[in-house]
Amino acid sequence: MFAYIIRRLLYAIPILIGVNLLTFVLFFVVNSPDDMAVSQLGAKYVTPEAIENWKAKNGYDKPLFYNAGADGLETVTETIFFAKSVRLFAFDFGRSESGRDISTDVRRRMGPSLAVVLPTFLVGIGVNICVALMVVMFHASRLDRAAVIVFVALMSISYLFYIIGGQYLVAKTWRLVPISGFLSGAEVWKFLLLPVLVGVVAGIGAGARWYRTLFLEEANQDYVRTARAKGCSELAVLFRHILPNALIPILTGVVVLVPMLFMGSLLIESFFGIPGLGSYMLDAINAQDFAIVRSMVFIGSILYIVGLILTDISYTWADPRVRLS
Amino acid sequence: MNTEADTLTLEGLSVILTETAEALVKDVAIHLRAGEIFALVGESGSGKSITSLAGMRLLPEALHIGSGRALMGATDLFALPEARMQTIRGRRMAMIFQNPMSALNPVKTVFRQVAETLRLHTKLRGAALRDRVTSLLEEVGIPDPRQRMDFYPHQLSGGQQQRIMIAMALACEPEVLIADEPTTALDVTIQKQVLELIQKLARSRRLAVLLITHDMGVVRQSADRVGVMYRGRIIEEASVAAFFAAPKEAYSRRLIDALPRQDTYRAPIQAPPLLSVTELRVHFPVRGGLLRRVQDVTRAVNGVSLTLARGETFALVGESGSGKSTLGRAILGLEHASSGEIHFDGTRIDGLAHKARQAYRRRIQVIFQNPYSSMNPRMAIGAIIAEGMLSLGVETSEHRREARVASLLERVRLPADCARRYPHELSGGQLQRVAIARALAVEPELIICDEPTSALDVSIRADVLDLLAELQREDDVAMLFITHDLSIVPGLAHRVGVMRNGELVETGSTEQILGAPEHPYTQALLAAVPRAGD
Amino acid sequence: MKPVILWSDALIFLLVAALVLFFWRLRRDPQTRDRWRQVFASRLGMAAFTVILAYVGVALLDSLHFRRALPPPDGVSTGEVFYDNQVSSVLDTLTAGMGERFERTYSAPFALRSFEKQTLKDEAGNTVRDFPPLRHAGAQLADPTEKWADVVRRSAPALGGGLALAVLLILPQWWLLRGSSLPWASSWLVQGILACTAVWLVSISRHYHVLGTDLGGADVLYQSLKGVRTGVLIGALSTLIMLPIAVTLGVCAGYFKGWVDDAVQYLYTTLSSIPGILLIAAAVLLFQVYIDLNPDAFPTGLEKADAKFIALCFILGVTSWSTLCRLIRAETLKISQLGYVQAAHAFGVSHGRILLRHILPNTVHIILITFVLDFSALVLAEAVLSYIGVGVDPSMGSWGNMINGARSELSREPAIWWTLSGAFLFMFLLVLSANLFADLVRDAFDPRTRLGPEAA
Repeated sequence: MFAYIIRRLLYAIPILIGVNLLTFVLFFVVNSPDDMAVSQLGAKYVTPEAIENWKAKNGYDKPLFYNAGADGLETVTETIFFAKSVRLFAFDFGRSESGRDISTDVRRRMGPSLAVVLPTFLVGIGVNICVALMVVMFHASRLDRAAVIVFVALMSISYLFYIIGGQYLVAKTWRLVPISGFLSGAEVWKFLLLPVLVGVVAGIGAGARWYRTLFLEEANQDYVRTARAKGCSELAVLFRHILPNALIPILTGVVVLVPMLFMGSLLIESFFGIPGLGSYMLDAINAQDFAIVRSMVFIGSILYIVGLILTDISYTWADPRVRLS
Repeated sequence: MNTEADTLTLEGLSVILTETAEALVKDVAIHLRAGEIFALVGESGSGKSITSLAGMRLLPEALHIGSGRALMGATDLFALPEARMQTIRGRRMAMIFQNPMSALNPVKTVFRQVAETLRLHTKLRGAALRDRVTSLLEEVGIPDPRQRMDFYPHQLSGGQQQRIMIAMALACEPEVLIADEPTTALDVTIQKQVLELIQKLARSRRLAVLLITHDMGVVRQSADRVGVMYRGRIIEEASVAAFFAAPKEAYSRRLIDALPRQDTYRAPIQAPPLLSVTELRVHFPVRGGLLRRVQDVTRAVNGVSLTLARGETFALVGESGSGKSTLGRAILGLEHASSGEIHFDGTRIDGLAHKARQAYRRRIQVIFQNPYSSMNPRMAIGAIIAEGMLSLGVETSEHRREARVASLLERVRLPADCARRYPHELSGGQLQRVAIARALAVEPELIICDEPTSALDVSIRADVLDLLAELQREDDVAMLFITHDLSIVPGLAHRVGVMRNGELVETGSTEQILGAPEHPYTQALLAAVPRAGD
Repeated sequence: MKPVILWSDALIFLLVAALVLFFWRLRRDPQTRDRWRQVFASRLGMAAFTVILAYVGVALLDSLHFRRALPPPDGVSTGEVFYDNQVSSVLDTLTAGMGERFERTYSAPFALRSFEKQTLKDEAGNTVRDFPPLRHAGAQLADPTEKWADVVRRSAPALGGGLALAVLLILPQWWLLRGSSLPWASSWLVQGILACTAVWLVSISRHYHVLGTDLGGADVLYQSLKGVRTGVLIGALSTLIMLPIAVTLGVCAGYFKGWVDDAVQYLYTTLSSIPGILLIAAAVLLFQVYIDLNPDAFPTGLEKADAKFIALCFILGVTSWSTLCRLIRAETLKISQLGYVQAAHAFGVSHGRILLRHILPNTVHIILITFVLDFSALVLAEAVLSYIGVGVDPSMGSWGNMINGARSELSREPAIWWTLSGAFLFMFLLVLSANLFADLVRDAFDPRTRLGPEAA
């Protein structure tokens, strides 16, 4: 088990290097520092000196991979690749194009992100499982067929409409909570209620439908027939036999998402004005601040890999048949 | 018949496929008596499993009971509300299934699963419950029950899993036990033990057992009375002794005759060797540790030597996991030999490069076990048969290829229009004939038959075996016949080899091995084979 | 008239041709035919498919672009013909100028007056602030109070025309499909409803804005219709770019195993570990920079928007192949162990032939299911990307751009709900049909969901 985790962590290194190289190529080779300077400065102010100044100020005035002008180790370290990409491995994110320290920003914004996403995630899973169980209880009835169509209809609505609709109904028409904003302190629940509600409702269609499929797949297994042959009631079959088995794919399916929760939710945060990592990314995209985008890509891929490892571990925990080696 | 003495009586049962209103089981009557095993025997699709599920009212959703009564004493089970039926299942009627691995809940311990039946129907809890489960497991022959109780199903062997199923079924001392093909998924030696256990329990507990099976040998070995089911009806019912002595129906006769005679053996033939395998080893690496280094190997085939003459059939017998299929695949060049040599017609063929191998691919062919998965579902039968000719350059003109496909179909006694049909339109027996035609298409000298009949019904099995024997006589092909079923060997093979754990424990002429086996494992295997002629 | 062929036009027609050919070839296999029959045997499947076809039809009509010939200027009589700078499509012609009747700014559906007050001069010449009357809507009315009566009066002939069109559409089908056992009636019902609605909308739109107008005064219904092409194209084109990558890599990884498998797994783990939205955003922004720096490559605004759109499809395709690749790899691993592949090895069939004849045809069901599922996911993604600002060009009509433009207008008093409703309705109908259809396709083709009664 321990050896397995170590091996998976080692395996993560080439993946992170790959991510790093890919983003580097995307940001610096396809799009040269000169191009970036031009788009940051605005076409009006483009002079060769202005470009050089901007590059010097932001640390782009070095060669990409190999500095022939320097000596010793510095041929490698005095390059953009080293300065901008390799340092990420030490979690040194540097400064954004607008000069702010990215690490500080990320740490500060993680809290609000989690405050929205974590409850959405947990409540969402609970609600989805309950809805799916209810539908499965009435399997193959008219209610079941209608429910599936409702799930598909709910899935077919764009996330944007859930947010816009939620804000319009709950916040504007019924005036139950503020439309958007964020406070740190005890009053924060007021601002969290609507985003969490919207997030949960938007997820019901896809989530409950998926869980229903998982439950039904288990319901077709032989051991379910054994349980019936023992004299279990339908409810006992559902809760004592189908549910524990179906929880394995559910658990492992959602565990991979857990680390990603730290990344926040792009849309929810931007609509509700929550100062989390999601809106941080969105602002960076809009401002074309590639330093932030690059750092977030790196953080995101680390979290994804952690998610994969957690998934494997959760398998051994949930399923007695699985052994990691 | 006297209904009062019956523990369970099914009367006029018919089961309907809801969607098409087709009756899959028609007017079936079964009388189960205490202490007696009633075997319901039939081939796949005959409706025997549906009958048993209907008795428990456990039919899948697509089916429903059309008419009939299930009388247990004076109560008609089919008339009971579902809630009442639940108090009967597991307490007065219990059931065990074919595949114990999938019939046990994989995420619950053995104790919890056996205890669940007791919790449902008795007031036993705590230590008393644990003691009861222990004694049950002891009774069904689980060694060390106190410890095994906390195992999960996958940690037990197939035979032990089926014993757990039996313990679970018998926990509340039911009057009726329905066993649906309880031994089909098990190896022969285990099969015998499980059947003996069921027999013993039926006597000691005065159980009325309904044993569903397709295997006449099982009927002969364990049942008291037998009913033959064919296309949804019971066509004949009799005591086992009377049935085997003088079956009334022609179909029953065929089922009994399909059981091979144990008294006629094929004499060994003298011919120069075509294939010789020397000290062959096939090892699969087991990786582990931090860097996934090879830490150990699975010795699938571990030092096997055998020879096979032109026109000879060599039966390779062994239980699942004995390495017999791997050996066949190594000869075909589908598996890499770790050491040892394979010679074919004087030339060494293991480790040949892709190009050089082609010539031998034509001369060595294969027929697989599962006819359904060995045909590409998206190719027409004609194209399937012609594929080998095309890739090995046997017939290059399309016209001649078509003519050859037609003559091959005729040889394996399939209608000519099969060439345009697709695999899912044919039955398992027909598909296995196609597989034979496909192998013959390239005129091989050796055919590896990897359990070619174990997925087929008994009556079809005999036809396919006869066809293979006939083709062998005509074409003088050598056959390496891989099987787990010793009972088909006598009329088929000239020589027999018994494999266990990757090693050939005994080889010799068929008469020698089946008549006077020397190795204890061969003796155990033979003792477990249910015979018709006893 | 001078035809204009944009890259995306060429691609969409190529795509439709390829799909038709693909399904035609699939028909030859009886098992596949049975499964399609199962999909279309459901009334829901038939109706959903008809709706999807209607959307595709609108998208195709909107992809036949041309420039109108202008009447020769007065007094000049050269042989030369002058063409309009404005590129129009056949759809524009069919909608009878719906897109050309601009108002000044917002107006509600069927409104006669603008949404915003303006400084006006009344008859007496005094300056007053009031809601000005619209330029086009209701211009034919003498008395504004007769509006609804007028709408009803005009609806009758419009619906009659719609019915006539429906009959024209359905009669030949009815004649051809008399003996069919499939529930064509539900398709005809949908066709009838769609035909009536279409004719009614076009004819009423001559005099009213059925879904109102947006900030720039453009007809919302027209914009929603223009969004159809974008939605259909983005769904289909991205999936089509993704398919060959995913299928080739997945099949190779599952079949050859060893280092090929390691390499492919490394590739897709790396790619899927990057948060998708960031990767897409970065790529789109970079392409934007490229366009800005090379203005000569794309002379007209339309071509620029088109290039950006194709790039977006390309990026979406390239970033989304990992899921399908994983599925195909797993399926190939499974198929490789099956008897027929083993038998093919024993017959010395070459790797290429095994891949093409034995493995690829047996993964088609996965490809199909993914195609229909991804289609709807991508239509939804377009809206989100446009909202973030990395979607299609603002000059190109799309539902995402409509939502983006109107998202804050609900908070106005009274709320401006119609732009969002237009986008919502059109998008919902397409995605819902695609999802329902995908469900049926999956039920028919996925072996896991094909659980019949257990064999005895």
